[in-house]
Formats: sequence, structure tokens, C-alpha cells
Amino acid sequence: MGQSTMTRERLFALRETISRLENENVPGLLKTARKGNPAGFGQITSKQEEGVSGPVLSLGIDALDAILQGGLPLGGLTEVRTVETRDAGAALGFVLALAVLCQSGRQSQLGSPILWIGQGMAASEAGHPYGRGLEAYGLNTGCCLFSSPRTVLDALWIAEAALSLPVFTAIILEVRGNPAQFGLNESRRLHLRARAGKVPILLLRQAGAEEASSAAVRFLVAPAQTTGRPLPDGSVLAGSIGNPVFHVTVEKSRAFASPAFLMEWNSHARRFRHILPETAAPFSEPAYPLAEFPASAGGPGGTDEMGRVLAFQKAS
Amino acid sequence: MKWGASWLSRKRPDHPPLVFVDRIQNAMRIVALDARAEKSGLKRGQGLAEARAMCPDIEIIPADPVADRALLTSLADWCDRYTPLVALDGENGLYLDITGCVHLHGSEKALLNDILSRLSGLGIEARGALASSAGLSWAMAHYRSGDIAAPQEAEEVLSPLPLAALRLPLEVIQTLARVGLKTVGDIITLPRAPLARRFGPSVLLRLDQALGFEDEPLSPRLPVASLSVERRLASPIQDEDDILELTLQLAKSLRQRFEEREEGGRLFELVLFRVDGRVFRIRAATSAASRDPERISALYRERLQAIHDDLDVGYGFEILRLCVLKTEHYAVVQEDFSGASDTGRSLSAFADRVMARFGPESLSTLILQESHVPERAAAFLPVSDMSRLSAAEKTGTPISAALPSTRPLRLFRHPERVDAIAAELPEGAPASFKWRRTTYQVARAEGPERIAGEWWVDGEDALTRDYFRVEDADGRRFWLFRDGLYSQAAVSPKWFMHGIFA
Repeated sequence: MGQSTMTRERLFALRETISRLENENVPGLLKTARKGNPAGFGQITSKQEEGVSGPVLSLGIDALDAILQGGLPLGGLTEVRTVETRDAGAALGFVLALAVLCQSGRQSQLGSPILWIGQGMAASEAGHPYGRGLEAYGLNTGCCLFSSPRTVLDALWIAEAALSLPVFTAIILEVRGNPAQFGLNESRRLHLRARAGKVPILLLRQAGAEEASSAAVRFLVAPAQTTGRPLPDGSVLAGSIGNPVFHVTVEKSRAFASPAFLMEWNSHARRFRHILPETAAPFSEPAYPLAEFPASAGGPGGTDEMGRVLAFQKAS
Repeated sequence: MKWGASWLSRKRPDHPPLVFVDRIQNAMRIVALDARAEKSGLKRGQGLAEARAMCPDIEIIPADPVADRALLTSLADWCDRYTPLVALDGENGLYLDITGCVHLHGSEKALLNDILSRLSGLGIEARGALASSAGLSWAMAHYRSGDIAAPQEAEEVLSPLPLAALRLPLEVIQTLARVGLKTVGDIITLPRAPLARRFGPSVLLRLDQALGFEDEPLSPRLPVASLSVERRLASPIQDEDDILELTLQLAKSLRQRFEEREEGGRLFELVLFRVDGRVFRIRAATSAASRDPERISALYRERLQAIHDDLDVGYGFEILRLCVLKTEHYAVVQEDFSGASDTGRSLSAFADRVMARFGPESLSTLILQESHVPERAAAFLPVSDMSRLSAAEKTGTPISAALPSTRPLRLFRHPERVDAIAAELPEGAPASFKWRRTTYQVARAEGPERIAGEWWVDGEDALTRDYFRVEDADGRRFWLFRDGLYSQAAVSPKWFMHGIFA
């Protein structure tokens, strides 16, 4: 018993230290927002904590909303990552769809400005945002601001400056890979600021590995084959390319499972549609579900590969 | 010349006579010389060979008019502390229009002494004169006849001076000398009409300008700020925080003047005078008219961060001046009781901060242009004016069509080469293609969408592009195009990747 009291005391002391450290450089807005829960480490006793019960944005798919406990938190960091650079189009499509939903959900006097911060390298690798395409995708680009800072630190600075004022409907921050300058500390800082300002910040990580971050939700997005253009009689035009479809895996959430969804974005209706696996590809699912790994398997931090590395001769 | 070590024990040796030479009319001639060289009997305009014969140990330095000009400009910057109206005069003179500035320095005498003593402190030998007209002060400074002249003394001061003091061209002076007119006093009393008829209008014009009968406009180097406040410090400051604190105070004193004029500033300039004479000018622009001192100071906090390495503080700054170069009407808006902050104001505050730190190009908005060539149809435009942004927003943009988009979300600035394999001839999509060293199998394709070049921009022989939307086996959607038609080009046309769909 005495031992556990000691442990608890030390734990409290540590929490105090951390909350003091974190409160030092944070403006008043944030301090008041976090008064109830120093450093966000307390147990989730009430619904006020961690922004889960804050305003949420329903994604229109019941199963996904249930996993996200109501929908995407409006306020806080949400991470969307892809495994490869060439999937950046799909990830951007998903992030933009979220941004469009945010835009249609919130209308203020100056419209609903969206800030897009794309690190210079990310844009030159995967292409620059294209106005005609964004318009056709359902985004109101009239009040969007774009910034292309050279380094990750500059991008983070701009993001933090933007979070300090409650103007933007959503902030899209695009980085490439897992830069060392954007670690756990920085993501926590952004998350806390976003939560205090009730601004969603969507982190789009191109070709990034899974890493510990303060994002409340993390999605892994991969492209998926479209269903084709619908015809007036309800059938589908064979060989055509229809609305974009994403294969979205919820890698991190409050739920225990990490399920995957096939989601189609309809830019005209500005709405997601859940494509059930049987309608998309009736026989592509393995009959024997035991072979499935959890989506988070194989990430960094596991045991290293075993065995000995042999030097093979060059093939060519 | 080397001094050797002996100057430590003996006296420091004098430097040899110094001359600056340049090639004038195909001969090396002296263009400038120091006092020792003058004492040895050398003159300006003398040939170099002759000068060497007269005085073998002279040190010869090639003239550098660009550096001279730079020095003169930096001196003009330094003179900004006395008056905002500083004009350059030829290669070695400065005009200062001190109208309305004298009382700040006590008296005319004190002002002139202050300028000359400070300049000599900087190591610059200067002569100055103060008079009611630019011509008169020029003559007095160049011919050392007193330093301050009242308007009624003009005739008296000018009379004994040679005609060159009137800034006349050399030929005119020679013609006048030929008829025995050598000093200004000789022509002051002459009848004017014959003088003008015989020697041209320039003689009378220059005479009138020197006497103050004719107005002579000076063209100042820099535009005069519409508002400006400054603070002179007894001891120089070096710390960035001190500079910002003073900027805040200066901005506070600007506020009332803004309110009187119902204006706000769009472009500010902070002028920092370093003790050793160097002047730094730091500009900061805002995206909407602003008069809030805190915001102006915050703007300079970012600017100072951005130019941190270029701002050499040295021994500190002694004068700080905040100028407003551009103003605009400032609409005062009353806040409502809900306490919600004005979105437009805070948006422009954010834009100002970012642009002050990363430059005006760092934040841009999208504009759509009328062009059917994809890369010209949309462009980024730096945010210079927030009112434009909100205006564009109000009109809104309709959704183009219910169909899936035919334009990609991402566009490569430079289309990337693609090796297309087994493209259906003559105008089909490829069965597979290789992009960035990876092969993609095309599962579905839509197209072609034929887009011809704009002949009024690209010329008549611009190639026609056939665009295809293709989807690979994994569901990635790309925008490919073939540059040219098979029938058009002699060699088989190349394929390019232009964009990525969602």
C-alpha cells in the first residue's frame, strides 16, 4: 500500500512538472481551456476531456462515425498518411473532402477560409494544388490561402500562427516523410493549440511511416478502384472512371479495432458514400479471415529482422 | 609601401602623397589627390607620367566612380537625420533642403556646425554653407566665402567670386573671360538683354538662381514620407527588444495623427541610424490599412527575426525613425456586443505576420483564368490586398458539373516524361507506362480530350495535346498526355504525366 502511495505521489509530481512546462509559453486562451485538466494526462472522467465530446463533424458513414465517437473532432490534430508518394493524390482527395465538409458545416461572414501549408518539397514531389481541380472537387477556393514554406520549421511556424486566431475553418499542413523537426513535442503543441482554438488541423503526411504523435485520429489512405460512371438507368458505364474511391484505414482512434473502409467522394453532393465490400469486389476478400493482420502490424518499433545479411553479387 | 617593424620605435611614417587616376581622353590623368600631393605641386587633370616625374614616390590608386557614388549615397542617407529632402549634386556634393528644420537644432549656425563636426568625426573632410538659395550656398561652399548668408547679402557675397561659382558651362566662362568679364560682380550690374543675347540664357538663369530671384527645384533622392516620427537617443541601443519597444512608442505617437487624417498605414519604414553613420531601412507592408501600435510593433518583430543576420548592430543605433510611406482610408468599425472578433481584421493580421517574416510571395491565393491550356487556367497570386480576397469570396463559385471531375487535384509544374508502352494507334491510351522508374498497368482509361495550343501565345506550330485520364490496377488515377499527334509530328510523339487525381 505504501509503495502505491509513493508511486502515486511521484506520478502527481511528474504531472505537475509537465503541466508547468507546457503552460509556460502558452497564451491565456490555452491556459483557461486546460485548467480543468493539467497537461491532458488526467483520466477521462467527464465528457469535457480530450476534445472527444467537443464539436464533431459527422462523415456521413455510420460505422466510421461510431469508431470516431461521433465524427471527426473539429479542433485538434488529425493525421492522414500514405505509404508511398504516388498515393499522395488519394490522400489529398480524402483530406480535401474533409475540408469541404468542414467548409459546408461552418459559414461565417467572410466565408470559410482554409489555409493550405505545403512544404516546398512536398509540393514539388507530388504536384502543386491545381485550382480548376479543387473547384471541381467541391472546395470554395475564393477564400483559400496557400503557403509554400521552404522548411518544415517554417511550415510549423505558419501553422502555429494560424492556429492562434479563430479565423480558419480548417488548416491543411502537408509534410513529406517523418521529419525530425516535427516530432511528438511539435505535434502535441499543434494539437493543444488547435483544440483550444477549436480549429481542425489536417496533417497530410506523404510517404510517412507510422510514428507516435498527438493526433487524436490517424488515417492511412490508399487509392482504390472506382466504380465507374453511373448511367441514368442505374447501371454503370463499363470501363469508365467514376467518382474517386479511397481505401481508408483508421489506424489510431479511441476504438480498439482499426477497421478499413472503402469510401467514395461525390463532389457534387459533397458527401461520402460507404462502398460495402461485396458491392465493390465480390470475391476479392479472402474466404478465410484468419490471415488478416491488424493494420498497425509491421510498423516501426517491432523486433528487428533476424538472420544474417549476406552480400550477394550484383545481378547486373 | 611597407612600413616594416621600425615604426614602433621611431615615429609612425607618413603615408606617401596619394593620387587617384583614371583614363581621360586616352591618357592616365589625376582625378583626385590628397593634401600632401597638392603640397608637392600636383594638380587635378595632370598626366600621370608628369606627376610621377615630379614626385616619384606617389601612391597611385585607380579611381572607382561606382564606389564614390556609393559613399555619397550612404552619406545622403546619413544626412536624412537633418531633413528628409536630400539631393545629390554631381559626384561630390549634397544639397539639404532645411526649410522648417532649423528650429530642431537651435540655430542655423548650430545646425551647420553639427553637420560639419559629425562629418569630420566620420573621417570626411567637408565644406558646407547655408544660404537662401541652392546656387548661393553652392558658390559659398566651393569658394569658401563665409558659411551663412542672409537673402539680402546675396549680391555682396557673390560679387567677388569668379564666374565659375555660378555653375556655368566651361565654354560660356571662357567666352565671358575673353571680353574681360571674370567675376560675378562684373555681370551683376550689366544690362540684362544684351547679356542674354550674346552669351545665351544660361548666364542669367544661373545668376538669378544664385541671387534667389529664380526658383530652383531640388529633386530629393527619396520620396518624402507622409507621416514620420523619430526618437533621438542619448546613448545608442543594441538590443532587439529595445528597438521593438521604441518602435511601439513611435507607433503610439503616430496613432493620433492617423486618427486626425482618418487613415491607416499600408507601408511602413523603420529607419535606423547607426552611430558610425550607416543607415538601415526596414520596410514592412500590411495587407490592410492599420494604425494599431501593437500590430505595427508585432510586424517589426517578425521583420527583425527575418533579417536577423543582415542587421549588423555594431555599436548600436542612435536615431530611430518610423515613416509611413503609403496610407489608405481606414474605416473605423464598431465591435458588436457578442465580442466576436472581426474575421477580416484578424485574417489580415495573420497575413501580415507571415509576409513580414517570409516575404510578400509567401502567401498566395488562387485565381482562375480564361484559358483552355491547363497550366494557364489557374494560377497563384500573392496576397497583397485582403479586400480582394473577401470580394472574390462573396461572389462564390458554382460547382461546374455533376460528373466526376476531369481536372486533377495536383498538377506538376513541369510535366514529367513517361515511357508509354503499347499505345493504341493512332489515338488511344497506353496499355502500360513507366513513370519514375515504376511500371503501371492501365486498368481503365478515358479520353482523349484534345487540347490545342493557344496560337496567339505559343505560335502557329504549337503541338496539340491529347489528354487521358487513366486508372492503374491499384486504383491510382493519373492525367497523361501525348504531346502532338501521330499524323502531325515526324518522330513519334512523347508522353507526359501532368497531374494526379484524387
